[in-house]
Amino acid sequence: MKMDLEQLRKTAAEVAAREEVKYLVGWKQGTYGYRVAPAFVEDAAGAAELIFSPLCTANLATYLTLAEQLPVPRGGEPDDRKVALMVKGCDSRAVTQLLVEKGIERDEVVVIGCPCPGVVDAALLAEKYPETEEPAEMKWDGENFLLIRGGEETKIARNEILAEKCRLCRYPNPVVSDIMLGEEVETWDLAEDEGVQELENRDVDGRAEYWAEQFDKCVRCYSCRNVCPLCYCQDCILDRLNPTWVNRSVNFSENTAFNIARAFHLAGRCIECGECERVCPANIPLGKLNRKLAREVRDKYDFEPGVDPDAEPFQASFKPDDPEDFIL
Amino acid sequence: MSANFEPNVVAFLCNWCSYAGADLAGTSRVNYPSNIQIIRVMCSGRVNPLYVMNALQQGADGVLVSGCHPGDCHYMEGNFYARRRLGMLKDLMEFVGVDPKRFHMSWVSASEGHKWKEVVEKTVEDAKEAGPFEGFRRRQIDW
Repeated sequence: MKMDLEQLRKTAAEVAAREEVKYLVGWKQGTYGYRVAPAFVEDAAGAAELIFSPLCTANLATYLTLAEQLPVPRGGEPDDRKVALMVKGCDSRAVTQLLVEKGIERDEVVVIGCPCPGVVDAALLAEKYPETEEPAEMKWDGENFLLIRGGEETKIARNEILAEKCRLCRYPNPVVSDIMLGEEVETWDLAEDEGVQELENRDVDGRAEYWAEQFDKCVRCYSCRNVCPLCYCQDCILDRLNPTWVNRSVNFSENTAFNIARAFHLAGRCIECGECERVCPANIPLGKLNRKLAREVRDKYDFEPGVDPDAEPFQASFKPDDPEDFIL
Repeated sequence: MSANFEPNVVAFLCNWCSYAGADLAGTSRVNYPSNIQIIRVMCSGRVNPLYVMNALQQGADGVLVSGCHPGDCHYMEGNFYARRRLGMLKDLMEFVGVDPKRFHMSWVSASEGHKWKEVVEKTVEDAKEAGPFEGFRRRQIDW
């Protein structure tokens, strides 16, 4: 894949300079190591720092609903300018799902699609090539990743550091876009979802033991909720005190209830961008929960979230012939 | 697990069919296990999956959700939504290690007093087999 940075910056500058665009959200070099930060570009000049590299893991679609909605001052006009957003394949599914749920309207966003040949798992990368203070650059190079640091280039095999979500990715090309950057990439052979399969092969007690160990680690920071592009309820049950759906105390019982509730709320909505798992400070494999549910939804209900903007939301619709083999 | 363990089973029954069905079982003098605690809701579609979680957290050993037969819902389609959501919940709970015997769903109409008895017997028997629920039950901490 040849993602031309020049073309990206030129397009971004053009979009950001448009009258109808409030700001453009993209990626820029972080302050150190493998960090990549979100960039909010308001004018053409700001576009010069934008990048798109295998380190751009973050799903920027979350900023669409995260943006603060200030009340309109008396006599003022509401700011209904658009937000421009750079998306990878998985991020574009989040945008589509937001459209399905009417979280955003189509004319509120300008989607700039970046076909993505797969991003790296920064934790895995840092394990093998320790992070230094100096900001590192990365590039796609055919079947490899190219790590550029201190004027030195290191070739790293793709499979060595490819993020788990990308191994299982079926939509590397944006499913929705106004402007497409570069050429579409070819889909690749999917890896087996070993993590989920291994758990499915255990008996119920084995799974209970596994998840007990995982949920016990949870510190209830709610990072998984905050980073999720599809967790945007203004009145979240986790913040509610009356009625208290999930107690705030950090113990195994409440942690389990919280994690099940979180996963369930994303059933038929999760687009598997893997952000929750990436940001989890306790390294809980939340992706396994999400992928398991996504697979059930796909196999049993023949539904895939974030693909068709005209679809009915999964949990707010039904088919008369939904499976009911579990009913007594 | 002791042989004479008596489980607590919480049942969420819809007002229009299953609750009336259970009522019919009562007025018809049908004997069924007394382990079941009935909570009446207006529709099985009203049953939030968190109700089920909360029941298990607060000491239930089994949960039953029962509503009208598909197509008979008083609100036309509430039980269809319930079927989809609670079906997913059952899969998810199984995946995180909750015995599938602890959660059941059934369709019981207002005229099915005898079916209600069978459903309760099955649910209680399954909960007995699964034993006291220790998984993520809320524990009292003695300071």
